[in-house]
Amino acid sequence: MLWYLVKRIIWMAGTLWVVFTLTWFLMRAVPGGPFDAEKKIPEEIRRNIEARYKLDQPLHVQYLDNLAHVIRLDFGPSFKLLDYPVNRVIAEGFPVSASLGVFAMIFALTLGLTAGVASAIGRRTAYDYGFMALATVGVAVPNFVLASLAIVLFVFYLGWFPAAGWGTLRQIALPAICLGAPFAGYIARLTRTGMLEVLGQDYIRTAYAKGLRHRRVIVRHALRGAILPVVSYLGPAVAAILTGSIVIERIFALPGLGIHFIEAATQRDYTLAMGMVLVYTFLLFVMNTLVDLSYGLIDPRVKLK
Amino acid sequence: MPEPLLRVENLRVEFKTDDGLVQAVNDVSFDLFPGETLGIVGESGSGKSVTNLAIMGLVPRPPGRVVAGRALYHGKDLLQLPERELSDLRGKKIAMIFQDPMTALNPFLTIAEQLTEVTQLHLGYSHQQAISHAITMLEKVGIPGAAQRLWDYPHQFSGGMQQRVMIAMALSCKPDILIADEPTTALDVTIQAQILELLRNLQTELNMSVILITHDLGVVAQVCHRVIVMYAGRIVEEATANSLFADPRHPYTLGLMQSAPRLDHARAERLHAIEGQPPDMTQLPAGCAFAPRCPFAVEESWHQQPPLAGRPGGGRLACFVDITKAPRKAAR
Repeated sequence: MLWYLVKRIIWMAGTLWVVFTLTWFLMRAVPGGPFDAEKKIPEEIRRNIEARYKLDQPLHVQYLDNLAHVIRLDFGPSFKLLDYPVNRVIAEGFPVSASLGVFAMIFALTLGLTAGVASAIGRRTAYDYGFMALATVGVAVPNFVLASLAIVLFVFYLGWFPAAGWGTLRQIALPAICLGAPFAGYIARLTRTGMLEVLGQDYIRTAYAKGLRHRRVIVRHALRGAILPVVSYLGPAVAAILTGSIVIERIFALPGLGIHFIEAATQRDYTLAMGMVLVYTFLLFVMNTLVDLSYGLIDPRVKLK
Repeated sequence: MPEPLLRVENLRVEFKTDDGLVQAVNDVSFDLFPGETLGIVGESGSGKSVTNLAIMGLVPRPPGRVVAGRALYHGKDLLQLPERELSDLRGKKIAMIFQDPMTALNPFLTIAEQLTEVTQLHLGYSHQQAISHAITMLEKVGIPGAAQRLWDYPHQFSGGMQQRVMIAMALSCKPDILIADEPTTALDVTIQAQILELLRNLQTELNMSVILITHDLGVVAQVCHRVIVMYAGRIVEEATANSLFADPRHPYTLGLMQSAPRLDHARAERLHAIEGQPPDMTQLPAGCAFAPRCPFAVEESWHQQPPLAGRPGGGRLACFVDITKAPRKAAR
């Protein structure tokens, strides 16, 4: 177990370095730099700026210098958001994006698991067909369409939620639901399939043969096996929620990290882009490790080495 | 004749399949007496397992359905009992063990969790009582180091040990009836013998009735008092084990015995095989379902269902022909 964690951390360091290197060279391979503008700036000023951000030095010196800073968790100043260090941008935006993601995930898991279990138990009933139709719609409709429709319906017609802003639970609800909806749909389908498979297992028949009641068989004997596919889906789901939140944050004008991700890339804000990419990579790695660990907790036959 | 503990009457179970309606169990009646071991023998698809799943109310539905019949236990018809009352009997008065212990135990729960929930549910044991009872049961079925092994998961046991755990679980509430559905089929031969021995000892000790479902005549010969032979969803012959082995009266029973190797026969003698294939259960013939494979079949066999009536030497038999006298047709 401990050895497994040590191995994961070593792997993570390696992965982060590869991502750093790829991003670093890709960003510089893209035409245009952070200080190019329509109007040419005078040569001396350009030289001054480049000297300030050390862009006048040979590439390998820049690369090593950046790497040394990043290793010390210092992402440097943003090239575009003047006087704003990348670390501060992340520190301010991360809590917003993280709580949006967490709320979306809670919504997706609650709805998805409930609907999936209900569908499996009531197989081929109105419940089943209803939930699965909804799930298909949830998976198929892109979140920007869903978000636009939700704003029209819930904000303008019904007036239940504010259209934008951040801070109160009412403001979080709509973006979190729009972000979580496709995942709820996918989780519902996975749960239903998993549940149906488990319900056909011999050990479920054994549980009934012991005289256990329906509810107890489902909760105690079937559920654990049924959610295994959902657990392994959580890793990729978190990745998708991260990218999905970029769109949702834009639509609902949330002060999260998503906007910086896009802006940094289009504006060639080298340091900010690097910070974003590394933070997201790190999050993904942590989530996948957590998924692996919980797999071992749920299924005793899984041994982590 | 003592009162039967369980009386099954005219049981009929159907399955809806893609190929049509299957009469999995067709007009099956039998009695189970206190303290006896009743063997039910037949090949795959003969309805022997489904018969017992129906008694337990465990026929998967859909596609299965109990269409007719009664299963009387202490004056109550198990087939009509509400789910709630039936589940009070299941595991407490009527217990069941299955063919493959590897899949019959829940891989996600410890042995302790799986054993204690039965006694906590049916006997109202506290957690502590249930644990100590579970240890007693595991010791009784011969699991060494029971107090420690209790906390293991099923995959940490061998197949034979898993089946012992299943038996311990089934017998936790001292049931009147144990239904053992091919309990040794998935195990290798030496383990088989141990498990059968264990079942026989526990049966005497707890004075319960056992229904042993198997396709293995050797198993029947070792433990059963009385035997029912099933073919294509019907009972074709029923007799005491001694009488059945000494004097098989149904052509199918005879075929089964001739196809089993025997130590007291010369090695050079070839085993007989029953000609043909098991019948297509969606399209059973109008007459005896065994007629197409039967070396003794007469004209009647093809058109009429032979009634299950008195058998010479005791028991019941469904055949038009007295095979001790009738001529055997040459193999086709």
